[in-house]
Amino acid sequence: MSRLTYRQYQRRTLFAITLYTVFMLSVWPIVHTVGNLPLKILLALAPLIPMFYVLAQLARLIRDSDELEQRTHLIALGVATGVTAALSLLGGFLSIAQVLPLDGSVLIWVFPLMMASYGITRWYVARAYGHDVACAGESGLAPAGRLLLLALITGVAALYAWRHDWDSFRTGLLCGMAGASAVLGLLLGMARWRSRGLPDE
Amino acid sequence: MNNRVRELRGEHAWSQADLAERLDVSRQTVNAIETGKYDPSLPLAFKIARLFGLSIESIFEPEPPVTPPAISRHPME
Repeated sequence: MSRLTYRQYQRRTLFAITLYTVFMLSVWPIVHTVGNLPLKILLALAPLIPMFYVLAQLARLIRDSDELEQRTHLIALGVATGVTAALSLLGGFLSIAQVLPLDGSVLIWVFPLMMASYGITRWYVARAYGHDVACAGESGLAPAGRLLLLALITGVAALYAWRHDWDSFRTGLLCGMAGASAVLGLLLGMARWRSRGLPDE
Repeated sequence: MNNRVRELRGEHAWSQADLAERLDVSRQTVNAIETGKYDPSLPLAFKIARLFGLSIESIFEPEPPVTPPAISRHPME
Protein backbone atom coordinates (compact mmCIF):
# COMPACT_ATOMS: atom_id res chain seq x y z
CA MET A 1 0.00 0.00 0.00
CA SER A 2 1.44 3.42 -0.99
CA ARG A 3 2.31 6.07 1.59
CA LEU A 4 -0.51 8.49 2.36
CA THR A 5 0.58 12.09 1.83
CA TYR A 6 -0.75 14.96 3.92
CA ARG A 7 -2.42 16.42 0.86
CA GLN A 8 -4.27 13.15 0.18
CA TYR A 9 -5.26 12.98 3.85
CA GLN A 10 -6.68 16.50 3.73
CA ARG A 11 -8.59 15.85 0.52
CA ARG A 12 -10.15 12.68 1.92
CA THR A 13 -11.08 14.14 5.29
CA LEU A 14 -12.54 17.20 3.58
CA PHE A 15 -14.71 14.92 1.47
CA ALA A 16 -15.83 12.99 4.58
CA ILE A 17 -16.59 16.18 6.54
CA THR A 18 -18.60 17.60 3.62
CA LEU A 19 -20.56 14.35 3.39
CA TYR A 20 -21.15 14.43 7.15
CA THR A 21 -22.37 18.05 7.03
CA VAL A 22 -24.69 17.42 4.08
CA PHE A 23 -26.09 14.36 5.82
CA MET A 24 -26.60 16.17 9.11
CA LEU A 25 -28.40 19.05 7.37
CA SER A 26 -30.53 17.05 4.98
CA VAL A 27 -31.26 13.68 6.59
CA TRP A 28 -30.72 14.14 10.32
CA PRO A 29 -33.72 16.47 10.87
CA ILE A 30 -36.12 13.76 9.63
CA VAL A 31 -34.73 11.03 11.93
CA HIS A 32 -37.25 11.97 14.65
CA THR A 33 -40.17 11.54 12.28
CA VAL A 34 -39.22 8.11 10.91
CA GLY A 35 -41.52 5.45 12.33
CA ASN A 36 -39.69 2.34 11.15
CA LEU A 37 -37.28 1.43 13.99
CA PRO A 38 -34.55 -0.33 11.93
CA LEU A 39 -34.52 2.61 9.46
CA LYS A 40 -34.41 5.06 12.35
CA ILE A 41 -31.38 3.30 13.87
CA LEU A 42 -29.72 3.15 10.46
CA LEU A 43 -30.21 6.88 9.85
CA ALA A 44 -29.17 7.78 13.40
CA LEU A 45 -25.92 5.82 13.12
CA ALA A 46 -25.10 6.74 9.50
CA PRO A 47 -22.95 9.77 10.48
CA LEU A 48 -20.58 7.28 12.13
CA ILE A 49 -19.43 6.12 8.68
CA PRO A 50 -17.60 9.35 7.72
CA MET A 51 -16.35 9.62 11.31
CA PHE A 52 -14.75 6.16 11.23
CA TYR A 53 -13.40 6.92 7.76
CA VAL A 54 -11.67 10.06 9.11
CA LEU A 55 -10.25 8.05 12.03
CA ALA A 56 -8.95 5.38 9.66
CA GLN A 57 -7.27 8.03 7.49
CA LEU A 58 -5.72 9.63 10.58
CA ALA A 59 -4.39 6.25 11.74
CA ARG A 60 -2.93 5.65 8.29
CA LEU A 61 -1.36 9.11 8.19
CA ILE A 62 0.30 8.55 11.59
CA ARG A 63 1.49 5.07 10.57
CA ASP A 64 3.09 6.47 7.41
CA SER A 65 4.69 9.48 9.16
CA ASP A 66 8.35 9.73 10.09
CA GLU A 67 9.56 9.82 13.70
CA LEU A 68 9.26 13.58 14.22
CA GLU A 69 5.80 13.72 12.66
CA GLN A 70 4.71 10.79 14.83
CA ARG A 71 5.92 12.69 17.87
CA THR A 72 3.85 15.77 16.95
CA HIS A 73 0.80 13.54 16.32
CA LEU A 74 1.28 11.85 19.68
CA ILE A 75 1.56 15.13 21.59
CA ALA A 76 -1.46 16.56 19.75
CA LEU A 77 -3.57 13.46 20.42
CA GLY A 78 -2.57 13.51 24.10
CA VAL A 79 -3.52 17.17 24.48
CA ALA A 80 -6.76 16.68 22.52
CA THR A 81 -7.74 13.76 24.77
CA GLY A 82 -7.02 15.82 27.88
CA VAL A 83 -8.92 18.88 26.64
CA THR A 84 -11.93 16.79 25.59
CA ALA A 85 -11.99 14.89 28.88
CA ALA A 86 -11.65 18.07 30.94
CA LEU A 87 -14.39 19.94 29.04
CA SER A 88 -16.70 16.90 29.18
CA LEU A 89 -16.20 16.71 32.94
CA LEU A 90 -16.78 20.47 33.23
CA GLY A 91 -19.99 20.24 31.19
CA GLY A 92 -21.13 17.24 33.23
CA PHE A 93 -20.64 19.04 36.55
CA LEU A 94 -22.38 22.20 35.33
CA SER A 95 -25.26 20.10 33.99
CA ILE A 96 -25.66 18.19 37.27
CA ALA A 97 -25.60 21.50 39.14
CA GLN A 98 -28.33 22.67 36.71
CA VAL A 99 -26.26 25.64 35.65
CA LEU A 100 -26.17 24.52 32.00
CA PRO A 101 -29.23 22.84 30.49
CA LEU A 102 -27.37 20.10 28.59
CA ASP A 103 -29.02 16.99 27.24
CA GLY A 104 -27.61 13.88 25.56
CA SER A 105 -27.41 15.59 22.16
CA VAL A 106 -24.38 17.56 23.36
CA LEU A 107 -22.36 14.34 22.95
CA ILE A 108 -22.26 14.85 19.17
CA TRP A 109 -19.81 17.70 19.81
CA VAL A 110 -17.25 15.44 21.50
CA PHE A 111 -15.67 14.22 18.28
CA PRO A 112 -15.49 17.66 16.57
CA LEU A 113 -14.03 19.12 19.78
CA MET A 114 -11.39 16.42 19.90
CA MET A 115 -10.47 16.89 16.24
CA ALA A 116 -10.30 20.68 16.63
CA SER A 117 -8.06 20.38 19.72
CA TYR A 118 -5.89 17.87 17.88
CA GLY A 119 -5.54 20.13 14.82
CA ILE A 120 -4.70 23.27 16.79
CA THR A 121 -2.19 21.47 19.05
CA ARG A 122 -0.49 19.76 16.14
CA TRP A 123 -0.13 23.07 14.34
CA TYR A 124 1.35 24.64 17.48
CA VAL A 125 3.76 21.75 18.22
CA ALA A 126 4.86 21.51 14.58
CA ARG A 127 5.68 25.22 14.63
CA ALA A 128 7.88 24.70 17.68
CA TYR A 129 9.93 22.22 15.63
CA GLY A 130 10.21 24.73 12.80
CA HIS A 131 7.66 22.94 10.65
CA ASP A 132 5.53 25.01 8.41
CA VAL A 133 2.32 23.00 8.36
CA ALA A 134 1.01 25.88 6.29
CA CYS A 135 3.40 25.09 3.46
CA ALA A 136 0.71 24.45 0.88
CA GLY A 137 3.06 23.23 -1.80
CA GLU A 138 4.13 20.27 0.29
CA SER A 139 1.63 19.75 3.06
CA GLY A 140 -1.68 20.66 1.48
CA LEU A 141 -4.11 23.44 2.29
CA ALA A 142 -2.78 26.22 4.55
CA PRO A 143 -4.35 26.64 8.03
CA ALA A 144 -5.87 29.97 6.97
CA GLY A 145 -7.53 28.24 4.02
CA ARG A 146 -8.72 25.41 6.25
CA LEU A 147 -10.23 27.84 8.75
CA LEU A 148 -11.97 29.81 6.02
CA LEU A 149 -13.35 26.56 4.62
CA LEU A 150 -14.56 25.60 8.08
CA ALA A 151 -16.15 29.06 8.36
CA LEU A 152 -17.92 28.47 5.06
CA ILE A 153 -19.23 25.03 6.08
CA THR A 154 -20.42 26.17 9.51
CA GLY A 155 -21.80 29.35 7.95
CA VAL A 156 -23.93 27.32 5.53
CA ALA A 157 -25.04 25.13 8.45
CA ALA A 158 -25.91 28.28 10.48
CA LEU A 159 -27.90 29.67 7.56
CA TYR A 160 -29.75 26.38 7.26
CA ALA A 161 -30.44 26.37 11.01
CA TRP A 162 -31.78 29.94 10.85
CA ARG A 163 -34.01 29.21 7.84
CA HIS A 164 -35.42 26.06 9.49
CA ASP A 165 -36.11 27.61 12.89
CA TRP A 166 -33.64 25.57 14.90
CA ASP A 167 -33.43 26.54 18.56
CA SER A 168 -31.43 29.67 19.33
CA PHE A 169 -28.66 27.77 21.19
CA ARG A 170 -27.71 25.62 18.20
CA THR A 171 -28.10 28.45 15.70
CA GLY A 172 -26.01 30.75 17.90
CA LEU A 173 -23.34 28.08 18.34
CA LEU A 174 -23.04 27.59 14.58
CA CYS A 175 -22.95 31.36 13.97
CA GLY A 176 -20.26 31.76 16.63
CA MET A 177 -18.17 28.95 15.16
CA ALA A 178 -18.48 30.40 11.66
CA GLY A 179 -17.56 33.90 12.82
CA ALA A 180 -14.63 32.77 14.97
CA SER A 181 -13.24 30.55 12.19
CA ALA A 182 -13.56 33.36 9.65
CA VAL A 183 -11.80 35.91 11.87
CA LEU A 184 -9.02 33.48 12.81
CA GLY A 185 -8.61 32.41 9.18
CA LEU A 186 -8.35 36.02 8.02
CA LEU A 187 -5.83 36.87 10.77
CA LEU A 188 -3.67 33.84 9.92
CA GLY A 189 -3.93 34.64 6.21
CA MET A 190 -2.86 38.24 6.82
CA ALA A 191 0.03 37.14 9.06
CA ARG A 192 1.21 34.72 6.41
CA TRP A 193 0.85 37.31 3.65
CA ARG A 194 2.89 39.82 5.68
CA SER A 195 5.65 37.27 6.41
CA ARG A 196 6.01 36.30 2.75
CA GLY A 197 8.67 38.92 2.19
CA LEU A 198 10.87 37.65 5.02
CA PRO A 199 13.94 35.57 4.04
CA ASP A 200 13.78 31.81 4.66
CA GLU A 201 15.70 30.35 7.56
CA MET B 1 22.98 18.83 20.06
CA ASN B 2 25.10 20.39 17.32
CA ASN B 3 25.42 18.68 13.98
CA ARG B 4 27.02 19.04 10.56
CA VAL B 5 24.10 17.80 8.50
CA ARG B 6 23.56 21.08 6.66
CA GLU B 7 27.27 21.39 5.86
CA LEU B 8 27.48 17.78 4.62
CA ARG B 9 24.32 18.18 2.57
CA GLY B 10 25.85 21.30 0.99
CA GLU B 11 29.00 19.37 0.10
CA HIS B 12 26.88 16.85 -1.78
CA ALA B 13 24.85 19.66 -3.40
CA TRP B 14 21.62 18.11 -2.21
CA SER B 15 18.49 20.05 -1.39
CA GLN B 16 16.61 19.33 1.84
CA ALA B 17 14.06 17.46 -0.26
CA ASP B 18 16.82 15.29 -1.81
CA LEU B 19 18.20 14.39 1.60
CA ALA B 20 14.71 13.77 2.97
CA GLU B 21 13.99 11.37 0.14
CA ARG B 22 17.24 9.48 0.75
CA LEU B 23 16.49 9.20 4.47
CA ASP B 24 12.78 8.41 3.94
CA VAL B 25 11.66 11.30 6.16
CA SER B 26 9.87 14.57 5.45
CA ARG B 27 11.74 17.70 4.31
CA GLN B 28 10.54 19.42 7.46
CA THR B 29 12.21 16.77 9.62
CA VAL B 30 15.50 17.38 7.80
CA ASN B 31 15.05 21.10 8.44
CA ALA B 32 14.33 20.49 12.15
CA ILE B 33 17.48 18.35 12.47
CA GLU B 34 19.65 20.89 10.64
CA THR B 35 18.44 23.78 12.77
CA GLY B 36 18.98 21.76 15.96
CA LYS B 37 15.30 21.84 16.91
CA TYR B 38 15.08 18.05 16.85
CA ASP B 39 17.63 15.39 17.73
CA PRO B 40 17.11 12.30 15.57
CA SER B 41 16.65 8.83 17.02
CA LEU B 42 19.62 6.47 17.02
CA PRO B 43 18.42 4.52 13.93
CA LEU B 44 17.97 7.77 11.98
CA ALA B 45 21.34 9.08 13.17
CA PHE B 46 22.96 5.83 11.93
CA LYS B 47 21.13 6.22 8.63
CA ILE B 48 22.47 9.77 8.24
CA ALA B 49 26.00 8.67 9.17
CA ARG B 50 25.88 5.75 6.72
CA LEU B 51 24.58 8.02 3.95
CA PHE B 52 27.49 10.42 4.34
CA GLY B 53 30.01 7.61 5.00
CA LEU B 54 31.00 9.03 8.37
CA SER B 55 30.70 8.03 12.01
CA ILE B 56 27.89 9.38 14.15
CA GLU B 57 30.33 11.22 16.43
CA SER B 58 31.78 13.12 13.48
CA ILE B 59 28.35 14.41 12.51
CA PHE B 60 26.63 14.91 15.85
CA GLU B 61 28.25 16.30 18.93
CA PRO B 62 26.57 17.03 22.24
CA GLU B 63 26.37 20.54 23.60
CA PRO B 64 29.36 21.29 25.83
CA PRO B 65 28.39 20.57 29.44
CA VAL B 66 27.58 23.59 31.52
CA THR B 67 30.38 23.94 34.01
CA PRO B 68 29.20 24.95 37.47
CA PRO B 69 30.75 28.16 38.78
CA ALA B 70 33.86 27.55 40.79
CA ILE B 71 33.12 27.53 44.50
CA SER B 72 35.67 29.47 46.41
CA ARG B 73 36.87 27.52 49.37
CA HIS B 74 36.51 29.07 52.75
CA PRO B 75 39.91 30.40 53.85
CA MET B 76 39.60 28.54 57.15
CA GLU B 77 39.23 25.12 55.42
